[in-house]
Amino acid sequence: MAAVKFIASEKLPEWIKALAGTRRVLVPVEEGGGVVFRPYDPARKPVFGSDATAPPKAAVFPASQELFSYAYGKDAEDPGKTTLALTPKVEAEPTVVFGAKPCGARGFLIFDPVYVGKKFPDPYYIAAREATAFVTMACAAVENTCFCHWVGSGPADTAGSDVLLTPVAGGYLAEAVSDKGAALLEGPYFADGAAKVQEAEDVKAASRAALGEAPDIADAPAALLAAFDDMDFWRDQSDKCISCGACTYLCPTCYCFSITDEGVGNTGRRLRSWDACMHFQFTLEASGHNPRPTKAHRLKNRVGHKFSYYPTLHEGLIACCGCGRCVKSCPVSVDIREIVQNAVARAKG
Amino acid sequence: MTDPKNPYLPEVATILETVQETHNIKTFRVRFDDEAKMAAFKFEPGQVGQLSAPGIGESTFVINSPPTRMDYLQFSVMRAGEVTTMLHGLNAGDKVGVRAPLGNAFPYEAMKGKDIVFVGGGIGMAPLRTLFLYMLDNRADYGKIRLLYGARSPLDMAFSAELPEWLSRKDVETTLTIDREAEGWEHRVGLIPNVLLEMAPAAKNCVAITCGPPIMIKFTLEALKKLGFEDEQIVTTLEKRMKCGIGICGRCNIGSSYVCVDGPVYTYAQLKALPNEL
Amino acid sequence: MSRLEDLKARIKEALPGLECVIGWQKGYDPLHNTPLFMRSEADVDKLEWGALNVHNPAVYLPSFRGKKIGIVVKGCDSRSVVELLQEKLIDRDGVVIFGMPCDGVVDLSKIKAKLADAGLTAGKVEAVAADGKTVSVTAAGKVEAVAADGKTVSVTAAGKAVTMPFADVAADKCLHCQFPNAVLADAYVGDPIAPAPASPAGNADMAALDAMSVPERMAFWRYHMDRCIRCYACRNACPMCVCRDHCIAQSREPHWLSQEDSVTEKLMFQVVHAMHLAGRCTECGECQRACPMDIPVLALKKHLNSTIHDLFDYQAGVDPVAIPPLLQFKVEEDNIKERGW
Repeated sequence: MAAVKFIASEKLPEWIKALAGTRRVLVPVEEGGGVVFRPYDPARKPVFGSDATAPPKAAVFPASQELFSYAYGKDAEDPGKTTLALTPKVEAEPTVVFGAKPCGARGFLIFDPVYVGKKFPDPYYIAAREATAFVTMACAAVENTCFCHWVGSGPADTAGSDVLLTPVAGGYLAEAVSDKGAALLEGPYFADGAAKVQEAEDVKAASRAALGEAPDIADAPAALLAAFDDMDFWRDQSDKCISCGACTYLCPTCYCFSITDEGVGNTGRRLRSWDACMHFQFTLEASGHNPRPTKAHRLKNRVGHKFSYYPTLHEGLIACCGCGRCVKSCPVSVDIREIVQNAVARAKG
Repeated sequence: MTDPKNPYLPEVATILETVQETHNIKTFRVRFDDEAKMAAFKFEPGQVGQLSAPGIGESTFVINSPPTRMDYLQFSVMRAGEVTTMLHGLNAGDKVGVRAPLGNAFPYEAMKGKDIVFVGGGIGMAPLRTLFLYMLDNRADYGKIRLLYGARSPLDMAFSAELPEWLSRKDVETTLTIDREAEGWEHRVGLIPNVLLEMAPAAKNCVAITCGPPIMIKFTLEALKKLGFEDEQIVTTLEKRMKCGIGICGRCNIGSSYVCVDGPVYTYAQLKALPNEL
Repeated sequence: MSRLEDLKARIKEALPGLECVIGWQKGYDPLHNTPLFMRSEADVDKLEWGALNVHNPAVYLPSFRGKKIGIVVKGCDSRSVVELLQEKLIDRDGVVIFGMPCDGVVDLSKIKAKLADAGLTAGKVEAVAADGKTVSVTAAGKVEAVAADGKTVSVTAAGKAVTMPFADVAADKCLHCQFPNAVLADAYVGDPIAPAPASPAGNADMAALDAMSVPERMAFWRYHMDRCIRCYACRNACPMCVCRDHCIAQSREPHWLSQEDSVTEKLMFQVVHAMHLAGRCTECGECQRACPMDIPVLALKKHLNSTIHDLFDYQAGVDPVAIPPLLQFKVEEDNIKERGW
């Protein structure tokens, strides 16, 4: 895109502070034993270079948000009749998510085809998406749970990002990925980056090399469908799963939600909130019938959706960014890499 | 019309009248408060709407009136859980929210010129009603039309006020059946699949549309196959727990098929191609 | 034969009559073991025993009710099994319990912190060895030398080794463990060991909270619960939470909580959860270990347990025929004088 720039490490906080003057800036900070995205606070030093525990998807897709509020009332002309007023709340705060890894931003590559559909585009998502810019940091180091290279991504993937920063000696190479990103690379913090381009490429290449070879999972969509009725196979994959939602809520690409009405008396709100297909209640019908009654059924759906159904509907795009959070944060270390490979091996016979 | 700018926002509608069909099925006839939107509203038989009782929630129901009769939109609700119980408490003059039309329609164009067999059980008659009445309103477009509607007992039959008219029409063959003998019942007695086999509709150039409780569908499918119906000639409409109704929230899928956009109308051939997670 | 080999032999013997036997095997990296469901002799050969067996396998038992299943337990896990038996959530003749003496397990978040202090990341661990006294982790990262108080770091060219005293990285519960041996077992391999003297370090979390004023405590919990993502890992990792599919956290009937992502709703859930566990919780710590956001939820249950202990002289999951005090009724309570006389 536009010319590449360089920002020295000591100028980074100044740039973040300047951005925070006109919009909300979310940066990764230490909290508890992990790293979470919080609004920029000069008193809290951001931590870059390690993957945040939770991805920044809440910036665009909040854990809960109001769709509309409702109010029942009495008809002024005929008090025996009720009125019903519905007031939608579509709003988004201009935001920069600063310092996510590429896998965190890539999630929106998976959200976009679903939420920005031709027939029923989602105005809440679209408003937040347009109001949010991602300044991501390419990975200088990789972890043993990283598998972005399995799913068409990599340590310097620009999908979903507006600016890609790559750590080099003394600072970062800053590359604008989009027009929105180019507009952020203004100010006295930046120098020309041409001289740093090669170094940045070396950093990216080294990270990519550190990931090693990706196994061939091209057959995964068909292999997973072929295993659909093999409940012994899914029992083995899901035995240790405890059906919580940790993998789902920490996943940058998981986008499912529930809609509930929350109110008291005559007024209240219709909320949408994160939901997980791993929970029993997800598909439970009022009759008591549940198409996915066991955790084996539900894990089959989650893995099937990510590596089979979604790719089938979206030209092969895998609904997984390979960030490895699900593996790292699963209380019992369910490993989706293992499950996909087991399905592929099973199909080979 | 579901607001294309905000497909999550229901249209406020008023209940014009209700009909207590059975002890647990209630019919609602609604009109949008916004007359311009009501006049502009278009839908095809088989499409559904999300009916809101704001404060409690939303649930999916077929628009069971046909697009040829637009005095109101009709929904028939079986009381099962929280939302349907709240809806059952509503009466003429009360407000509901409507997000419609959602989902796909019956392939009524492709059915033109064919013989039609409707097989409905209990509340399953509701989705059939929209297509049945649409076809009666476009009678010349279709061949022989037969309706087989069954319920556990006379008290479980919905649309009782209309049944005499349907029975008396010469341009359609209506058969009613109940599971067990009941005093005063003048029509058939027998389980739906058995009565269907006795009726023995010819499969050639015929389409069968069936809806009802899962066990009834299972045995009706077997009967239709016995009668020689091919998978493409059998049409049904599914139910699933739904939330967004617009293919986003990720809940109602059968494999890669989202019931709220690819369905709820499916042919048996399409269902067989999908993974087994009904 | 080593103890572990003896245990494997016993499991293989029992396997034909069992649906499966639950234990642990190596996980995706040297720092993680993961639950193992043994259905064949080849599965049994994968069984691991040691400081990385952090999970409580009792959580799986209620879903196997009606079948006969085996389970390998640490001492703390066996208390969960006993609690499930007390509440009749599993049948005694439906479970075969295998035990061995336990030298304690690690707290991975403490290891992560130690590695971070040494400039290393837990995400690139190459080897782990624990002998009950020390834990040695070899990981990639920047070169740095640290030597202090019995902890040494040896620097090598290929990777780094950090050696930590076990007491520094043991799970809190292990620092005051009174039950290193299974309290109930069908097959116990090895000689029972005596509990180590309790270290107050194991209750550092309670001490810190007790020292706070009530407003400070509220601020503490509001701060931590803000991070909560309502994944319910804490609930689902708990062996006693058999009602997870009908939990008030998500139910509409009754409608106690909204689905709002607010500290109020989330803290309410934790409080309800702790109340539902009072007198039943064996402090296995799985709730806190399972939390992906590092929220110290165990403290709430520990507090209620100490109240239960004071009021009812009762400890959960020790005596298979005892009835938890909140699941029974006594006309006259020993320690609760309702009328002041």
